[in-house]
Amino acid sequence: MMVVLVALLAAGCAAKKGFEREGFAFGCPIGDSKVGSMEDLIETKVTLEGRRTNVIVTELRCTMSGDLMKIEANLNNDAGQIRRVAYKFRWMDREGMRVGEEEAWKPVLMYEKSNNVVAALAPSGKAADFRLIVMGQD
Amino acid sequence: MIRSVALVRVAAVSVLAALVLGGCAKDTVRYGDARGVETVTNQFGSTDLQMIAEAMTRSLLDAPVVTAHNLPIVTVQEVRNKTSEYIDTRAITDSIRAELQKSGKVRFAVDAAGMSNQREEIDRQQDDEYYDREQVAEKGRMVGAQYRLEGNITSIVKQAKDIKDVYYKFNLQMWNIRNGLLEWTDEKEIRKTTTKG
Repeated sequence: MMVVLVALLAAGCAAKKGFEREGFAFGCPIGDSKVGSMEDLIETKVTLEGRRTNVIVTELRCTMSGDLMKIEANLNNDAGQIRRVAYKFRWMDREGMRVGEEEAWKPVLMYEKSNNVVAALAPSGKAADFRLIVMGQD
Repeated sequence: MIRSVALVRVAAVSVLAALVLGGCAKDTVRYGDARGVETVTNQFGSTDLQMIAEAMTRSLLDAPVVTAHNLPIVTVQEVRNKTSEYIDTRAITDSIRAELQKSGKVRFAVDAAGMSNQREEIDRQQDDEYYDREQVAEKGRMVGAQYRLEGNITSIVKQAKDIKDVYYKFNLQMWNIRNGLLEWTDEKEIRKTTTKG
């Protein structure tokens, strides 16, 4: 009986992880999108533009700093060679309109078999959603 | 004789070919991405300027002096260029100021560079009888800044036979003018390497 109760409690906690608020997953706004896992969230928020790359986003975390959205993304280079990528964030307001100017592409060097955490803060409190855009530079 | 004629012919053909080719070669002009990654040389470039301005702005927006204060009033002072190359540091601070102003979380007071224009305009309004006396800008109404931004950019350049490495460090500080306390500071580092061949 006790074992079943503990298992049920654990399952309940696990299911809730990252989905504390409706319309959010892992702290990130998802709107009406169906996001059930980190992979779903990455698929919704990450876009590849221009030259393709093997460097992938493996994790996304969002939080609020005052009224500004703060994001951390983990980039992973699984290859045995150095890879170069560039990334930028695109910010949108509640209506899906772009907030502020397009960000500058930021180049990142990824060592062999390495991870790199890139962070961003929204340019203003109007930013309610975002996309992370990644482009190969090799 | 025959040989010299042949030489003249070859020369004439060469000149003609050069003229034709020169006339055909057209310069191509295209618009590029102003925010793209620029790697033409390893000197300070547009990507460096944009990355520095963005990093400093976002860091400052997250600083307690901005998040806790009610619209701090800031003035921009000099960013000293301590590198060996020419860098328009005013372009960097202008970009930082524009981004901060757009955020709506910081206000800017006229800086030392803009003060003479400001004074001139107030004097012009005051001295010109064509202006409505009730609406002219009065002396003694300007608001002084609470904080000042200043900084510096340094570089370390190392060069060997086939490689040139440039390291830039941009440092920005926000000082409380009244009590002289450092309220915020941050740095942005950039490394660029050029390899020949």
